[in-house]
Amino acid sequence: MSTALVVFVLVLLLPLFLASWRVSLVGLASQGAIMAWLAYDRDGVTTVADGVRLVDLGLVRSLIVPVALYQVMRARGTSARNDVIAPNLVSWTLALTAVLVGFRFAAHMPLPDSERPFVAAAASALLLAMLVLASSERVFSQVVGVFRFENALALFELSRPEPEAEPGFRIGLLVVLAATLGLARWYLRTLTPTGDAPAPEAP
Amino acid sequence: MNPALWLLTPLLFLVLVGPRRRNALALVAAATVEVIVATVIAIGDVDPGADALLTTDATARLFLLVIDWAFVGVVVYAWNRARVDTTRPEASARRAYLGIAFLVAMNVVVIANHVLLAWLALEVTSLTAAPQITQASLPGSRGAAWRYLVFSIVGLGLASLGFWCLGHGGADGAHASMRFDVLAQTPAPTDDPWRDLGFALLVLGLGTKLGLAPMYSWLPETYDEAPAAVTAMLAAVQFNGTLVLLVRVLQIPGARDGVAGDALLVLGLASMAVSAGSILATRNIKRLVAYASINHAGVIAIGLGLGGEAAYGVLLYAVSNAFIKAILFLSIGHIEQHYQTKQMRDVGGLIKDLPYTGLFLMVGTFALLGFPPFGSFLGELLILSALAASGQMLVFAGFCAVIATTFIATGRSVFPMIWGESRIKATWSRQRLLPHLPKLVLLIALVMMGLYLPASFNTLFREVAASMGSR
Repeated sequence: MSTALVVFVLVLLLPLFLASWRVSLVGLASQGAIMAWLAYDRDGVTTVADGVRLVDLGLVRSLIVPVALYQVMRARGTSARNDVIAPNLVSWTLALTAVLVGFRFAAHMPLPDSERPFVAAAASALLLAMLVLASSERVFSQVVGVFRFENALALFELSRPEPEAEPGFRIGLLVVLAATLGLARWYLRTLTPTGDAPAPEAP
Repeated sequence: MNPALWLLTPLLFLVLVGPRRRNALALVAAATVEVIVATVIAIGDVDPGADALLTTDATARLFLLVIDWAFVGVVVYAWNRARVDTTRPEASARRAYLGIAFLVAMNVVVIANHVLLAWLALEVTSLTAAPQITQASLPGSRGAAWRYLVFSIVGLGLASLGFWCLGHGGADGAHASMRFDVLAQTPAPTDDPWRDLGFALLVLGLGTKLGLAPMYSWLPETYDEAPAAVTAMLAAVQFNGTLVLLVRVLQIPGARDGVAGDALLVLGLASMAVSAGSILATRNIKRLVAYASINHAGVIAIGLGLGGEAAYGVLLYAVSNAFIKAILFLSIGHIEQHYQTKQMRDVGGLIKDLPYTGLFLMVGTFALLGFPPFGSFLGELLILSALAASGQMLVFAGFCAVIATTFIATGRSVFPMIWGESRIKATWSRQRLLPHLPKLVLLIALVMMGLYLPASFNTLFREVAASMGSR
């Protein structure tokens, strides 16, 4: 497993143990930056589709998403503390188990060796995102869960080169991500007075 | 030029959006143009070809008719509401922009021949629907819209992962095609865990969008909190767009052989059971129909899981239910407008107070419960008969028990609203038939599906059923 993927898994886990919304946003930014590096390191920028993907990962996910959410939280004067999962031993054990399950899953599926670490990290990221979404009562935590989920899907896609990487589709994905961010910001601002009060139950 | 590209024409109506009195009309005009194009494509002499992105195959043509006719009914209702009550948000520019974008994206879902295009378009329909659920006067609607959005993102995310797994092609590194028509012609490889996982994730992900258990909890709240027109749009239009994607997945050879077929049966039966319990408990008419929608999703999932001889029944049932839900939710909109309540015990004597609304609620409820002569009756009968023929007697027994419970629970709550004593003494102005005409058109289609289907429509149903394994 490459160093970048090891760091990615750490970046997935650490914000779950540190009860701060700023750390959660740094976690999202780091995930985007690492994925951008992984994409650039493997494929470079040889086509328009590669360029759009790099903008998606390196600019939107690692910079625009965290900054946009930071602005809302800052403007609402939210207190520093925020747990994205319940701060207890059961939740932490579930988080670690999710990572283990992700790695066991990749070990058992028929995969070229080069893809196995990517799939392991992506599966872990997906399970952790589901854990965050399932255990969050606060809007902000759910927003973080949604973007963790989106990042996990992006890492799955990154695990192998796409044969039909049309720039049009990549732009479409980018627009959808931007629209999701816009709506998430709007709900974060309007759903609750401080953006950190309990939200409706999520899956 | 692919004739399906004409379905993008309503985007031109975006330029009309602006002043309040024009917005709802722009939406009606866009929907009218779309339904004309869809009808010409569906039953006109249009080459049913497919290119890398778009297709006008039988599945697309059948569902284009369904979603566009249902959408026209919904926007005519919204236009009338905006005309009668100028304080209503139906005529806002935001809703017109979002409505037109939703309409075009939904049509793209139906005609998409590329996995990514279909997925992206369905994502756009969710992103454009979420803000329409929100009503400024109802703070609870924001929470419902957010919940809808989160469940949509998760459901579609799981579906995209399912497609990724299908395209993975195993350890040999080969990629599967991303074209639905090519996938439908590709023989099923044996023993590929990625394929099984892909189909399972697709059933779970698209099942979430359809409101199947276990990820159904967004549906009752969303349908309850959204304006009636938006609820009808989600229930009649978006539901069927999502269904098209699931049908296309099940057209891939071997899709039902693995875990997906069994998962559809189990999720279908679980959804029906959950909905029956909830229908028993609720006192809110909008929630009741929302729970009935979960029931319908369950019946459709069971039919899809069976495939083969149940396919024709599933299609009849799904198309009928699109129209039933549009009729019922729009009627409930009228009830809510007049009585200012959704509580069933506060409403009575509808047939005297609001004769047209009462009539449509009555007929819609009969159709909802699967009475003859509606298409839903025939569809349910065909699914049940396929279930018995397949030897799945446990599912058959569960299906019958849940349907009976739903029947009793719905009748017990809804019929007193129609024939009971008026509970709110008020003098209603005489109802005009004009605002109810779209519902009448949908009702005629509903009865035709149970009694007599013109040959061209029947051929369309049969072609789609054949693509799903029917003989």
